[in-house]
Amino acid sequence: MNALLDGILAVLEPTVMLCMGAGVIIGMLVGMFPGITATMAVALASGFTMTLDPVQGLAVLLTIYVAANFGDRIPSILINTPGTPASIATTFDGYPMAKNGRAGLALIVSALVSAIGIIASMVLFAFASVPLAQLALKFGPSEMFAVVILAMTIMISISSKSIAKGLLAGVIGLTIATIGRDPITGDARFTFGIRDLNGGLDFIAVIIGLFGIAELFDQLLTHRQFKIKPISALGRWWPTKSEYKQIVKPTGIAGLVGLVVGIIPGAGGDIAGLLGWDRAKAASKNKAEYGKGSIEGIAASDVASSATLGGSLTTTMALGIPGDSVMAVMIGSMIVWGIQPGPSLFVNQPSLVVTITAIMVLATLITLAINLVRMPMMVKLLDMPVHYIWATVLVFCLVGTYATTNNMFTVIVMLVFGVIGVILKRSGIPASPIVLGLILGPLAESNLRRSLLIDGPAGLVGKPISATLISLALIAIVVSLAAPIIARRRAKQAAAAPTN
Amino acid sequence: MKTGTLFAKTIAIAALASVAFTASAFAQDAFPSKDITFVVQAAAGGASDRTSRAIASEMEKDLGVSIIVENRPGATGTVAFAHVAEQPADGYTIGFGPVEFAIVENIGYDFDRADFTYLGQIMNSPVVLAVPANSPYNTLSEFIEAAQTKELSVSNSGAASAFAATAFTLAKTTGAKITPVPFDGGAPAVAAALGNHVDAVTAGAGETATAFADGTLKVLAIFADEEHPRFPGVKTAKEQGYDLQFGAWGGVYGPAGIPDDVKATLEASIKKAAATQTFLDAITPAGILPAYRTGAEWEAFIATEAARYAEILK
Repeated sequence: MNALLDGILAVLEPTVMLCMGAGVIIGMLVGMFPGITATMAVALASGFTMTLDPVQGLAVLLTIYVAANFGDRIPSILINTPGTPASIATTFDGYPMAKNGRAGLALIVSALVSAIGIIASMVLFAFASVPLAQLALKFGPSEMFAVVILAMTIMISISSKSIAKGLLAGVIGLTIATIGRDPITGDARFTFGIRDLNGGLDFIAVIIGLFGIAELFDQLLTHRQFKIKPISALGRWWPTKSEYKQIVKPTGIAGLVGLVVGIIPGAGGDIAGLLGWDRAKAASKNKAEYGKGSIEGIAASDVASSATLGGSLTTTMALGIPGDSVMAVMIGSMIVWGIQPGPSLFVNQPSLVVTITAIMVLATLITLAINLVRMPMMVKLLDMPVHYIWATVLVFCLVGTYATTNNMFTVIVMLVFGVIGVILKRSGIPASPIVLGLILGPLAESNLRRSLLIDGPAGLVGKPISATLISLALIAIVVSLAAPIIARRRAKQAAAAPTN
Repeated sequence: MKTGTLFAKTIAIAALASVAFTASAFAQDAFPSKDITFVVQAAAGGASDRTSRAIASEMEKDLGVSIIVENRPGATGTVAFAHVAEQPADGYTIGFGPVEFAIVENIGYDFDRADFTYLGQIMNSPVVLAVPANSPYNTLSEFIEAAQTKELSVSNSGAASAFAATAFTLAKTTGAKITPVPFDGGAPAVAAALGNHVDAVTAGAGETATAFADGTLKVLAIFADEEHPRFPGVKTAKEQGYDLQFGAWGGVYGPAGIPDDVKATLEASIKKAAATQTFLDAITPAGILPAYRTGAEWEAFIATEAARYAEILK
């Protein structure tokens, strides 16, 4: 009881509140800027927080982490450009909603479910970190491989128009993912002697190119200028009662997916968002709406990816193993402050665990409140003439991408993928499976090969977790391939029925 | 109207900034008279970045000019190395030179050690071999003996790293059947050992210290000359009869051809900064040890390391 009180009182100190204020501002700005990630912001801020008290420092860093997660959704919804991979799935329904004049609704729903996701994951963090962290350790290479394979099956369900074109895009993504150094032997592959290709294609540059820049180029190339405005109107802000009811189920399902994925080390908000969206779609009555501006879709993708935050904190604090790249930077800072993450942290410093939970929850509530209140200001921003908006987007994308590596090559990669994106768009090939292939391909390859190195082929089928997940993936493939065939047959029967 | 004022303001600020910049650029007297750029080959947040920022901020105090740390990650560090090599050799561009300086030329990168001026080694992060708490092995020789009869897997942070090289060399010199398993970074490699997915892990002291303190990992050996303060009671490999030293060391370098007087100023500043308590306080909690070598000593050390890695990575 004392630990609880001490932990909460530590957060209510004025200096700590001030630190959280700074964190919210930095985090929201960083999140909105495509290309600039929370990791970079936290890494740079940690230089300044080193001299602060641990609680003050944690307040700045954790708040940036939370606020960036909210800000991240905004460019996905408004300009079809995910700020980080975690909001790729947000573009599936967020941008179509914005195009249908429902951007306001998309932003509010996204903010609400993100808050639900983070808070739910923090409840788990506060009460079950140590046992959950033990579960996380069960995920070795073969289990990770199985998770990634399951995530890859989503390529089918996001290719709503043509499965063939969707899979073609997926193969393109997997192919370009092999550029760079072999993960096991370190040999160069498809680098053509170009030094900058040794590290592989920077996926943030590819994402911004394929989504944001391609959209922009497409608009500029359209002869009837700006026929489709980026965001014509924000529309209604708040969901109606029936819409609230509609999002309960997808939020629940995808939230659970996000909580589970969050615990798995190495699988973050990107995989959670995609899997959450896919599972919610599979369980929905309005499957056809998904990907065309479904309010259920945006609720599912954003609750799932936000629910991973508590999971990465869990592995970070309870094992000392960073759950994601932001947490890797955090561990560095915590060690300097003399906080040693690990199971003993929960025994020796329970009040600190309470403080961390309190900071995360409070940061979520503050960011949510700001998100809900300052939306009208964004309306004014979007009243600007369309060419100003596109010019701003282009500058943001260029600067943000350059900032990821301080290297012009990354900007060139982004622009090249902008051109490729336009060509694909006009051939009806979707961009999302390419990004999926690019992100999941290396994870699948390296984990498969590690697993084969350790146990040989037996490791994949002999372990209960990986065997179950691979079976689920096989079922998902069969079901999604069979569904259209069955539907077509039913339609044929229905068409045939009246004549009989 | 409003846009007009904003535009005017922007121009005014930009003009002021350029005046300030040119003013400092013209003042060319004793080194250093303007800001120094410190290039880091890794993204913000890791051990290289932490060490670089710590040494840069101490050198700043000593030299009296600002040192701007710039992260240029990519291609095992060679993007940053090539960038530094192309800069004017005036001492205003320096960088962090990691153990990859001895490795990349052996794994197909276009890299020439003669392209650089070596200013001094500042740190070393020794490699350790650790096993899960429930592992049957308690000493390095028990582990090696077991590996001589059956295949044991040892995770590490990535292919062609100092950590992978440790496992390879251990296998080669003892005839043990060790399968090095590269992961994507030190943390997942340690997690694989904690979860019993591999038999052991070779990792940096910083990545294993937490689990060692909690008793979830047993550290069998340290591949260094001396015992490590973070691992009380753990013997070095040499003390256990295996004379092997491996570490992720690092120092400060610049482009080739830095004039002798400038080089001397930088070397002296680095030596002083590397010995300050603030620098030590910034690096030691992460398991990194101070390890100073002069520019010339470091250059010779890199040559011997490179020859050793050429043998291992063949």
